[in-house]
Amino acid sequence: MTEDLQPARSPSGGVLVDARLSLLDRQMLDVDGVTVGVVDDLELSDVPAVLERGTPPPSVLALVHGPIVLERIFGGKRPHGQLLRFGWDTVAKLGSAVELAAPASELPRPWLETWLRERVIARLPGGRHVPG
Amino acid sequence: MKKIFAVALGILTAIGGFLDIGDIVTNAVVGSRFGWSLAWVVVVGVAGICVFAHMAGKVAAVSGRATFELIRERLGPRMALANLSASFFINLLTLTAEVGGIALALQLASSVNYLLWVPVAAFAVWLVVWRVGFELMENVTGLIGLLLIGFAVAFFLLGPDWGELGRQAAQLMPTQESPATYWFYAVALFGAALTPYEVFFFSSGAVEEGWSVKDLGQSRLNVLVGFPLGGFLSLAIAGCAALALLPIGVEVGTLSQVVLPVAEAGGTLLLVAIILGIVAATFGAALETTLSAGYTLAQFFGWTWGKSKAPAQAARFHTTMIVCLVIGLGVLATGVDPVMVTEVSVVFSAVALPLTYLPILIVANDPDYMGEHVNSRALNVAGQAYFGLILVAAVAAVPLMIVTGVGQ
Repeated sequence: MTEDLQPARSPSGGVLVDARLSLLDRQMLDVDGVTVGVVDDLELSDVPAVLERGTPPPSVLALVHGPIVLERIFGGKRPHGQLLRFGWDTVAKLGSAVELAAPASELPRPWLETWLRERVIARLPGGRHVPG
Repeated sequence: MKKIFAVALGILTAIGGFLDIGDIVTNAVVGSRFGWSLAWVVVVGVAGICVFAHMAGKVAAVSGRATFELIRERLGPRMALANLSASFFINLLTLTAEVGGIALALQLASSVNYLLWVPVAAFAVWLVVWRVGFELMENVTGLIGLLLIGFAVAFFLLGPDWGELGRQAAQLMPTQESPATYWFYAVALFGAALTPYEVFFFSSGAVEEGWSVKDLGQSRLNVLVGFPLGGFLSLAIAGCAALALLPIGVEVGTLSQVVLPVAEAGGTLLLVAIILGIVAATFGAALETTLSAGYTLAQFFGWTWGKSKAPAQAARFHTTMIVCLVIGLGVLATGVDPVMVTEVSVVFSAVALPLTYLPILIVANDPDYMGEHVNSRALNVAGQAYFGLILVAAVAAVPLMIVTGVGQ
């Protein structure tokens, strides 16, 4: 995490960020450096089916984490109920991982993690204690 | 003084941690059938693991990213998932072999059937993963694993005939075995020296222990001194078998035959030391493969992971490891020979190698990640030469396995 991402300036004054290289499939860390997910997809603002001249360009609203990665691999469509959204306004830094400005407790958490923790892992002796 | 102690400890644990059931069994089998005529593979393999472990450790220390995170990021989700499926399966195979190895070693020590030791071993592995701190785990298994130096002691006690060993090492292809068998074991030895889990564990461990750029010197020493010394022990294991078993025509097929030369040369005391060493080395490797199962899956899917967190903070990571140990237990409970599982696991390790190493090689050259620590030209030449070699071994592995009927 020593090197900041140094985005190139585009001729029009915007910033060029290679989404595939620098956003997609990068780990997301909370403010304490704990992994909270991986960028499985990006959510853009509404893109109308027919783009007329003067339609404002879409912008990245959120980083999306969840089973949607399987669609990227295998194609097809699944219900999107289980997707976790990490709003772009929580992004603090783009480096070797995407660093978020909030602690994990304030970020969305997958149900499976919560379920396994409450029902299985935390119930085993020592499950809530740091090893060593 | 404290610093010297830390450096020495790092090197010693690297020696003890280098050997696992794959190295022990494959080297003994090869020694009993080919003498030292495959010694060159051990040398080439050790140099290879030094190059790649060093690179993976450097990438982890500088960028804070473990190997499978990079695999997904660089190869994309599709290739990474294919990679994950292969690596995870092979790691599970290795995990099963290591747990079986602990049980076989305990059977040697106790005369109690290994099948009764399998659940004990698996439970003990889980307990350590669950409750013991990372550093303590590494240091204890690594230091007790040093008892495997007993193989070197036994080697010298057997009074090595250097002329004969040198002749074997120089003569590349022994006449009594077919070329296919020879090359099959060459690939197996190569796979045993360069198992992918070592890199998953090494890089994730570096992240867990919070390595930074200033730890690179220590890491380099551990790898460049510890691993070659571990390689010497591999040669000693093969040498023991070459001296004691090759002349009388015993082909190693069980763990008791692996330690037979040690008992012959050093008596009960040395045998006890070696058995303890094997238990520690396989136990250490069982821990590393169990953790690697969790690391690879968690890093691909972006789960919270880490042995240094309370298990409840990384529930899916810990559940994965429990499930993997239960699967390994189930496989061993069918009565399948753990030595056979080991031999198959090292061959498949060779198949999976390119998938693990290519992303490390790419990222180690990426200045966005590495800044001034990008690979030097010399390291790149070595890294690319080894990548070529790994590719050849990976392609040859399965055909050779089929042609030779797993080295029969």
